[in-house]
Amino acid sequence: MTATISHTRLRVLFALFAVASLVLSARLAYWQTVGRGELLSRATDQVRSDLIVSAQRGVIRDRNGAILATTVELRSLYAIPAQMKDPRGADTRSAVAAAIAPILGERPDVLRAAFESGAEWLFVRRRLPEEAAARIAALHLPGLGFEMEPKRLYPSGSIGAQVLGFVNDDGLGQYGVEGRYNGELAGAPGRLAVTRDPANRELALGLRTEIAAKNGDDLALTIDLAVQSAAERELAAAVEREKAAGGAIVVLDPRDGAVLAIASSPTYDPARVGSANAEALRNRAISWTYEPGSTMKAITIAAAIDKGAVTPTTSYDDVGYTVIGGRKLCNAQCKVYGRTTVTQILARSQNAGAVFVAGKLGAPDLNAYLGAFGFGQRTGVDLAAETGGIVRPLAEWYPVDLGTISFGQGLTVTPLQLASAYAAIANGGTLYRPYVVASRRAADGEHRTAPAAVRRVISEETAATLRTMLTATVDEGIANAAALSRYSVAGKTGTAQIPSDDGRYVDDAYISSFAGFVPAVDPRMVMVVVLERPQSKLLGTVPAMNAFKAVATDALRYARVQPDRP
Amino acid sequence: MARIRSASWEVRSFALASGVIVACFLLVLLYLAQATAVSASGYEAQRLAAQRDELRRQNALLVIESARLESPARVEAEAQRLGLVRAATIRVVAAEAVAAAR
Repeated sequence: MTATISHTRLRVLFALFAVASLVLSARLAYWQTVGRGELLSRATDQVRSDLIVSAQRGVIRDRNGAILATTVELRSLYAIPAQMKDPRGADTRSAVAAAIAPILGERPDVLRAAFESGAEWLFVRRRLPEEAAARIAALHLPGLGFEMEPKRLYPSGSIGAQVLGFVNDDGLGQYGVEGRYNGELAGAPGRLAVTRDPANRELALGLRTEIAAKNGDDLALTIDLAVQSAAERELAAAVEREKAAGGAIVVLDPRDGAVLAIASSPTYDPARVGSANAEALRNRAISWTYEPGSTMKAITIAAAIDKGAVTPTTSYDDVGYTVIGGRKLCNAQCKVYGRTTVTQILARSQNAGAVFVAGKLGAPDLNAYLGAFGFGQRTGVDLAAETGGIVRPLAEWYPVDLGTISFGQGLTVTPLQLASAYAAIANGGTLYRPYVVASRRAADGEHRTAPAAVRRVISEETAATLRTMLTATVDEGIANAAALSRYSVAGKTGTAQIPSDDGRYVDDAYISSFAGFVPAVDPRMVMVVVLERPQSKLLGTVPAMNAFKAVATDALRYARVQPDRP
Repeated sequence: MARIRSASWEVRSFALASGVIVACFLLVLLYLAQATAVSASGYEAQRLAAQRDELRRQNALLVIESARLESPARVEAEAQRLGLVRAATIRVVAAEAVAAAR
């Protein structure tokens, strides 16, 4: 039995195959050409992953390279309660809560309530410490997972907080360097579009479009962590001992205006900003003003000597007070000194003497020198939230203002302004703009900050004369408590009353301060210490000088500055 | 003779078709092998990149921990805890004196 197939049937069969092939080919051609885009789009949508790639925020270091602030990815723990089941399908939410509660330092019932709240997905704890995250991961509990989130870390805790500022939950820098340089530190995010497989793994052969993130610039500060730590330690101790309302310490390098340390009390921990009050966030070195008191006498005398109105040996007969503009202005406790030279005015801190010197100088020149020393205007330091203090325009001065301003009342300054002015005396007469960022390292290289000399305020000779007079004030005068063994110190104390809202001065409350530099001959650091409402009241300059001594001792040892005295 | 020639043509055609099919099959196999190898390499590269990122993260955490431990404030607190006190004086030897003694 042999079956034969007719040629006709074969042709029909062939024709059918040919038609079917043509139809299929046409359809295939359609999807490969006209319909290709739609098909590709539908396919890509199923596997495409489009992500924002966050930029790494820049690192902040001190002048010696110690890390002050950096960002690292930490694991955030999330839960999917519906997946909390054992292999037999039994609910494990209570068991999971009980297992992780001790690691998180949380009560199990609180966690269980969160798991049973009805949420499909929830964060259990964000940005966990690495050790806790590792312990939880090792438990391999169902329904728990980790997601990486960036966290700004400050290895030195609250040290330098007022200079550094902080980063809020939205990743924006606030206050200090973080606020002032947020644009440079933050960088720019990138984008990454890739195709992924069902296991969420990137496909090597798939689509990959990438716009790289631009990481933030790294900053190196002029701050010296050792000096900063000493300043914060001594300020905290002085404020605590004196039960003061607050205080500030500023340390500058007078040679170029570099800020070595800024301490402010009260302060905060940048890792726990949420629990800090508004007052703690205020940097008292730049955002708070006060009447400087007698520290201003050095400025008045510098102006008068520079103008040629007086010399260090110019003398007057002190009767314990002076009358100016119809007002009687007394020395402290109205003490009478008799014949007094200008050098002694500074050494004894005589108010009447300062008025005598200011009278010789005249109001227009005193006002001009105050402006030249930078009072009444922002220093321009590269930190957020600086204020300028108040020096009223000359046209608004009453006759008595020449007298009160000569010894530091009737104007307000910031501790940083006063430190800058003393730095001008220390460095030979040039006012520098204080600065905190020494260099910025970007993708295109390192950008260093050039010290900015604002102007010459007084002559070299005047500055040298003032250094000698301020050294005598420490060696033999009112600021003797600031003297250091084997180092020459120049400086001046200040005690000022506190103005109240009704225009009078608050009774029996003072702001005590000390402004000085060391070594007096070739100054390496200028320091201003301010204590607000110290318990010692009129003797509050003593703890201020003690703080100066302690910080200067540490800083000089650390900087290996050779003693200049036997 | 004609039948023999016809049979020979059919054999050659069959052999040719088979050869083409086998060649195509081998080509497809080669392509698939390469695609699979690239894909596997891609997964391996991804795994290594993830491992690199994690090591970098761990390194960053260690650097931060090191900075925390080296912080002057912490060192001072630790020194106080151990009962250490500051040296009252530090003898400074002038460079000139050392040079003169040599």
